Amino acid sequence: MAKWGMVIDLDTCTGCQACTTACAMENSRLPGENWQDVLFYHEGKYPNVQLKWLPRPCMHCENPSCVSVCPTRATYKDPEGGFVLIDWNRCIGCKYCQVACPYGVRFYTDEKAVVQPDIRTVFPSEEGRQWDPPWKGPQDDPRRGIGIQPHGVVSKCTFCYHKVSQAPAGVPDLDEDIPELKEYVPACVRVCAPKARFFGDLDHPESRVNKLIADHRGTRLKDETGNKPQVYYLSGGASAAVPSLRAVHQDKA
Amino acid sequence: MTTATMDNKGIQMPILLVAGIGFLITAGLVMFNLSSQGHAAFNISNDGLFWGFPIVVYDFFLLTSTGIAMVACFGFLFTGETFRPLFARSLWLALAGLSGGVAVLMMELGYPLRAMFLIPFSFAFSSPLYWKVLAVIGFTVCLLLLIWRARATQSTLDSLRGLTRLTLLFAILVTALAGVVYGSQSFRPFWASGDIPAAFIVESIVGGLAFVYFFTLLAYGFQADKVPVSIRSVFAGRMGGVFAWAIVLHLVFVVGRTVNGLYGNVEGLQAWQYIVSSPLYWIELAALMTALVIMFSHALRRNILVQVAAAVLVMVGLFIGRYEYIIGGQIIPLFKGSWAPPVLSYAPSSTEWLLLIMAIFLANVVNALGGVLGITRSR
Repeated sequence: MAKWGMVIDLDTCTGCQACTTACAMENSRLPGENWQDVLFYHEGKYPNVQLKWLPRPCMHCENPSCVSVCPTRATYKDPEGGFVLIDWNRCIGCKYCQVACPYGVRFYTDEKAVVQPDIRTVFPSEEGRQWDPPWKGPQDDPRRGIGIQPHGVVSKCTFCYHKVSQAPAGVPDLDEDIPELKEYVPACVRVCAPKARFFGDLDHPESRVNKLIADHRGTRLKDETGNKPQVYYLSGGASAAVPSLRAVHQDKA
Repeated sequence: MTTATMDNKGIQMPILLVAGIGFLITAGLVMFNLSSQGHAAFNISNDGLFWGFPIVVYDFFLLTSTGIAMVACFGFLFTGETFRPLFARSLWLALAGLSGGVAVLMMELGYPLRAMFLIPFSFAFSSPLYWKVLAVIGFTVCLLLLIWRARATQSTLDSLRGLTRLTLLFAILVTALAGVVYGSQSFRPFWASGDIPAAFIVESIVGGLAFVYFFTLLAYGFQADKVPVSIRSVFAGRMGGVFAWAIVLHLVFVVGRTVNGLYGNVEGLQAWQYIVSSPLYWIELAALMTALVIMFSHALRRNILVQVAAAVLVMVGLFIGRYEYIIGGQIIPLFKGSWAPPVLSYAPSSTEWLLLIMAIFLANVVNALGGVLGITRSR
């Protein structure tokens, strides 16, 4: 049984946002409600200012706090691949999971539109969904939070479950460079032009993701929370880190 | 019926009518706004502020309800028949507060009806909200049973002791679990603390006392000569002292959290700097301190209008405190990058304010109905 995970090489990532765009297209996301986002930070003062960035998908934690707090078991850990998924038929929209997620990767999109004009009014849905985009994909699996987000529920990155779950059993990695596997690769990984993203089975001893984590000292975001993300970051120190918000605050002051 | 237990029915009917009309108007406006705009009618967002004013109002009413029940049960268990004139009224008032809070929660949830049948049968043992909902169900059932049993002419302290203890237990459980919901969020240092359940229980009792004072005296039109001697002596006597000491304990938690928060360097505790720089915080402290002075003074607390003033000050102080606590735990954004402000700005929308007014009206409808039907009258 696989335990799918992602490795993001921050020294290679160019912050181009192709992953964000691909995810939005693949999953019919509303503008600005990005399951996969790249966060930009600046540190220091002129003339020593650094611009940094951090790609941030859902971490699909091994010990997810969102799953622990869900009062209806709508959010659950899929035993088959280690995905953290949401059953939209059970979600009550209490937003406790959003509050409990240390990574801010959950979305309740019934609120005011993040990007104006509100595209929900341009492509309104008549099926209780947030909208009806003309370019939507065919996948629709509400029990796993896949498809166009309905009203009144929370959504999040699924690690492209609809693609990854179809992969042949036992493969160590899902690499877009392997022609017979590329259709199973998550959208954000497949489009990454500088090849900063890798996706594979964290439990497979031969997987490339495991080697990368071991050889390059892969680290997990906010590991102190005990959530144990299945997304690892590689950084030789030349690239991004998550700076203190207080530091940003002091800069502004 | 003796003078000591007589209820002023005269004032309850106008309250019922005004509150009923007010509830229908505000509920209608809220329903209209929600059906036309959805939750866009609220000012919450995915920027990091997920629980906004509706949750503040819901929590305030819920904790007020459990606080009133705790006051009623403690009062009855520890002082026996002395508390009898206030017992039935307080229990019914707890139910009124609960109805206001639950109504607001129903407006806030994405799927309120689904929540009602899914949560109890989800067996989500790891979720504090699951246990909280079970506790609220138990609390409501016990409260209803106790109201019904207390109405019986032959009911005595001995015959009600078991049920009163159980209601008290559920009231404490609901309040503590409400604290666990926030206190367990370890990566939100503004919220996370082991003492939050205890702080919630104290805050809840303070609120319960304030509401018992206010609504009991309201039932007599705030007219000293109409308030039975038995109630006046309880309010000016031991209950006044308990009220004052409960405010002291609550202030210890409030000021303690503030001082610790201002010393802390952990991400998220910067919210305290923002809170203490807001006049709301100082209004909260001033309101609680004034009420404390009033209730500590034997001379002052004999005056019924002064008691009402103290109760109102405490209600205002606690509501501000609840707002600061729930919003303060979320205003420092997590992982939002350079474009996110250091502190998220939030102000309730008109629909969110309407929810508060709606809850006040609904609680008053239920409470006044109890007076009109004679349910709040003690035997």
